[in-house]
Amino acid sequence: MRRFLCLMMALLLLCGCAEQTKRDPEAEERSERYVSAMDTVMTLTAFGSHREEALNAAYEEILRLDALLSTGQEDSQISRLNREETLTLEGDTRALVEQALELYRETEGAFDITVYPLMQLWGFPTKEFHHPSQQELDAVLRSVGSDQMTFDDASGKLTLAPGQSVDLGGIGKGYASARVMEIFREAGVTSGMVSLGGNVQCLGTRPDGNPWRIGIQDPAGQDGEITAVVEVTDQAVITSGGYERFFTDPDTGEVFIHILDPRTGYPAENGLTSVSIVSSDGALADGLSTSLYIMGLDGASDFWRAHSDQFQAILIDDTGTLYVTEGLAEQVTSEKNIQIIPLSE
Amino acid sequence: MQKTRRRELLLLGALLLTGLILLAVVLLNRQRGAQVRVMIDGASQAVFSLDEDRTYPITTPEGTNLLEIRGGRVSITQADCPDGLCVKQGAVRYVGDSIICLPHKLVIEVTGEDDMALDAVSK
Repeated sequence: MRRFLCLMMALLLLCGCAEQTKRDPEAEERSERYVSAMDTVMTLTAFGSHREEALNAAYEEILRLDALLSTGQEDSQISRLNREETLTLEGDTRALVEQALELYRETEGAFDITVYPLMQLWGFPTKEFHHPSQQELDAVLRSVGSDQMTFDDASGKLTLAPGQSVDLGGIGKGYASARVMEIFREAGVTSGMVSLGGNVQCLGTRPDGNPWRIGIQDPAGQDGEITAVVEVTDQAVITSGGYERFFTDPDTGEVFIHILDPRTGYPAENGLTSVSIVSSDGALADGLSTSLYIMGLDGASDFWRAHSDQFQAILIDDTGTLYVTEGLAEQVTSEKNIQIIPLSE
Repeated sequence: MQKTRRRELLLLGALLLTGLILLAVVLLNRQRGAQVRVMIDGASQAVFSLDEDRTYPITTPEGTNLLEIRGGRVSITQADCPDGLCVKQGAVRYVGDSIICLPHKLVIEVTGEDDMALDAVSK
């Protein structure tokens, strides 16, 4: 009897001990930081006992990148490049330009950092919208195209063609979110998240060990409704949609969205209304979300098949149909029917 | 000798009582579910709120089931599976409860609000 009791007591003690593993006592503690940079409001979230130092370091990094890449700041590297037409790039700017040029080649020009003069012609940066004539478009299109720049691999020297100007906005936020994740990791944070104006990237899992749940905004919704949820670990979820920025021509009633095809100069009209890219590479996800939007459903599906080791995608077309690439099938939920895009046709 | 035995019995009784109380706490504290998740062959297909009454036909590769949400409970009211066990399982409402239709590889799972809450929105 006594032995039995001893055993019971020992078991009870063990049960108590099992809970006390070497966990961060502040694992569920959460801190947030809001930063206004890169023309958007960013929300940084970190969990655990290193969260404050991680957030402070990430905040500094975002300001540093913004000062480097912003077209709005006179002394940024990009502003200098656009003014002086030639500049030797280093560090982050160089890494970003190199990745942008690779994306330009891979997407056959759908992703292009020289698209900025077109954006200006349509009035998107200033919100003084203008529906340009074909003549106006042709004049600007002549200098659009990353193939007209010369980049010297050895020295990092980038030289623009006359009339060109560069904007890394299509890839910069994704790059920044990826840098924030690195900084979190270096600071000892294992669970964190960043949303740069709707560009989301997650580090690790939620503190409870479950994947992060990221909503995909309904492109047809009026009040930011969600149309699907994707569960991710250590990945970025970056969405591009025509609903984000557009204007209506007051004379014809035509709607023009801000996603321009750099090759035609016209807003992309290929039947898609939203493209979300899921990838562990934030900058890639950022660049591809607009590129796949421009490609349309078929082009985007083919592009994914050729690069399925690098990213997955969620596409919504103008009938509201939801398409999900095969590798993401088990991570996406929606009240809608989900069409799976298979790896082999 | 008798004193020790009595003490041991008392201790044993106390342990049993503690166990019973713990069991009661667990059973009584069952959390009301907030949402149901529909999974076919392990893959999540849809998520519905338990607050809104609705019916939803589920089409699986093996057959169909009719899901019904009423008064915060979820049940399968019709199914063309051979055993009909999913219909017989009745309505469930607590976090962790589930209805399973093995022939159709269908699992209906009740989850809590926190579990399903979004961490962010990509736009």
